[in-house]
Amino acid sequence: MKQVIKVVLVVGFILSLTILPLSAGGKTEKSQATQQITLTLWGGWPEIQPVYEKVAADYNKQNPNITIKVLTHPLREFEQKLSATIPADQASDIIEASPYPVQKFISAGLIPPAPQRVVDYMTKPGRFPEALVKANKGPDGKYYGLNYFQGRHVIFWNKDMFKEAGLPGAPTTMDEMISYAQKLAKRDAQGNLVRSGLSLRLSGGGSGVGEKFWMYLYPFGGSIIEEMPNGKWKAGYDNEAGYNTLKMYIDMVWKYKTDDHKIKHDAEAFQLRQTAMFARESWVIGDTRKKAPDLNYDTAPMPKGVRWGDLATGVNLYVSRSCKNPDAAWDFILFLNTDENLRYLLDTTGWLPQRMDADLKASLDKEPRYKAFLFSHPDYKIYTYPTLPEYDEILTKFAERMVKAFLDSSLVDNPAGIRKVLSDAAAETNSILKRAGKLAE
Amino acid sequence: MGGGNREGRAMVEKKRTWSLERKRRTFCYLALLPILSIFLIIRVIPIIRTFALSVTDASLISLKSNYIGLDNFKNLLSDDLFLLALKNTTLFAFATVALSVSMGLLLSLLMYRKSTLSPLYETIYFFPVITPMVPVAIIWKWIYDPSYGLMNYILFWFGIKPIGWLVYPDIALWAIVILSVWKVVGYNMMIFLVGLRNIPSMYYEAARIDGAMGFGLFRYITFPLLKPILLFIIVVTTINSYNVFTQVYVMTTGLQGAPGNTVRVLVYDIWENAFRYSRMGYASAEAVILFLIILLLTLAQFKIVKSEA
Repeated sequence: MKQVIKVVLVVGFILSLTILPLSAGGKTEKSQATQQITLTLWGGWPEIQPVYEKVAADYNKQNPNITIKVLTHPLREFEQKLSATIPADQASDIIEASPYPVQKFISAGLIPPAPQRVVDYMTKPGRFPEALVKANKGPDGKYYGLNYFQGRHVIFWNKDMFKEAGLPGAPTTMDEMISYAQKLAKRDAQGNLVRSGLSLRLSGGGSGVGEKFWMYLYPFGGSIIEEMPNGKWKAGYDNEAGYNTLKMYIDMVWKYKTDDHKIKHDAEAFQLRQTAMFARESWVIGDTRKKAPDLNYDTAPMPKGVRWGDLATGVNLYVSRSCKNPDAAWDFILFLNTDENLRYLLDTTGWLPQRMDADLKASLDKEPRYKAFLFSHPDYKIYTYPTLPEYDEILTKFAERMVKAFLDSSLVDNPAGIRKVLSDAAAETNSILKRAGKLAE
Repeated sequence: MGGGNREGRAMVEKKRTWSLERKRRTFCYLALLPILSIFLIIRVIPIIRTFALSVTDASLISLKSNYIGLDNFKNLLSDDLFLLALKNTTLFAFATVALSVSMGLLLSLLMYRKSTLSPLYETIYFFPVITPMVPVAIIWKWIYDPSYGLMNYILFWFGIKPIGWLVYPDIALWAIVILSVWKVVGYNMMIFLVGLRNIPSMYYEAARIDGAMGFGLFRYITFPLLKPILLFIIVVTTINSYNVFTQVYVMTTGLQGAPGNTVRVLVYDIWENAFRYSRMGYASAEAVILFLIILLLTLAQFKIVKSEA
């Protein structure tokens, strides 16, 4: 009897050892399926926060165990936050950022590549602009992040002011733009400029001044940096294109006086009717709807020069290395890219989705001025930021030199002075490239 | 026997006193330990680490760094932005120290004679000191606005054309000096006032008996006795002025559409190299130079004031 009891006990013990882990395993699977997941999303465009929150709430209805917390900051502060938190693995699970400031983190292996299902989605022909998909490639050839929205530029022009100046419509060439600006500028009795003909970006922190300069440099045939056949780079503005662009700025400020440092600029000036035209992204439409709903304006593609095109700055969503639930994070990013959610993004903020195959007809019918942002022509090229970690420093330092140059009235009718400004700036650009081992000698 | 007992009692007493003294010291050290530890962690170690980083090519986003000797310091000497920042910061510091110290002293002399309105004036002058710098800088940015600013509005009454206060680098530097002096002058005034009120009246009485009057009293009594206070104020204002950042950032750089880097200062340059371009080694070299400048200026100020005392 004792023997039987012993055998039963041993068998029971062995069975319990076998069954317990199985039952525990069952519990684990179940707990993973219903596990409460909280994802954090940080962004640098505060106007998009309501969109993320609405989409996150919709996503939560479909996935009750997943909650997304959104936090946005002004762009410059946000870029600093990323610099401090990504290397320390303290960043959010999902990061909203342009590919060019993220390149330094990608190069350092601090951002993981996108999974294959996301890459397949991203690289489907005709889904996203080719230039913006190419910009997602890291130095290792892998794709990082998924495209979300983009900053495409168009000319915003005030129809009443153009009519008053006897102008037929938006300028189609660079020459027209310069000539129209002179006709549109308005001064008071003392000769002070009270309305600019074309609002240029003459000052401002960060790289914005450089980016806007680049938009006019492109039609003149130049670029901030250009890639050589050996894959290395050099400054692309110390040439006739750069000269013509800087001369245009100097002339418009100091010779034709169609713009002035002392008056309002950009979207604010446009909404206050203190400028007749300027170039900017689609968010201005959403912003103007709130701040100046009665403004009679329209949009037009960027003007032509020796070449024609538009600078597109993509903004992507990345999943951080420290994210504990990357599958859920990528799933939410894909959810953000659905037609319905992209229409909501466009209607709410004016930011244009990168997805070209999204059905935006309802939004475009409601607000036809978005159509200029989707303008397409075989000669109208879409160009974007090069994927170099050093590009932010190059563009920011170039911008600082341009801010200084725009203040210098001695550059009027001074070709040697203009060329010296460009040559000094190019030496700095090339020295940054050299330090990074990327200069085409 | 009696003598032996006395010696024994004295020995016991001495031991007890020594033991009590040791306990007191131990208590003091233990009580100071937390604050010393915090000071070590957040002040001393980062300073040592900054010195160490300044001779490397350390990056914010890479764990690897190489020793590069004095290359960062050599490169700084040919870096136009650093040299501009150094020039601007030095001009700003000297102007702010000179104006805020002299105005603080003048105001304190005016306030010294107590009247019923003295507390009100003291509060008014001290108010900017307790207001945080960010809202102050935003308000002054509006005051300096070329189109709608109060400053240009006042100038317009006198037929002066609008001035781009924060647009042109030469003017912008002085515009920020004006704000900074306005912000700090109340603090300097209060410290001078404390110093003035601590000068015993008997010195003045004796000087008056000897025939000293007006400026003579100030020259031979007030000023010499205020020198320790003057040294303290100059040192503190110099250190704060060399560390200028917030007002410059908020008024000229921080936001889109702001005038831009019209006034580049050292701390901004350090911050940009460290956190925008991730060049921690290079930024550390700049921080070391800033540290040495402030240290040398402080030592020089101590020496000058002590030698005159």
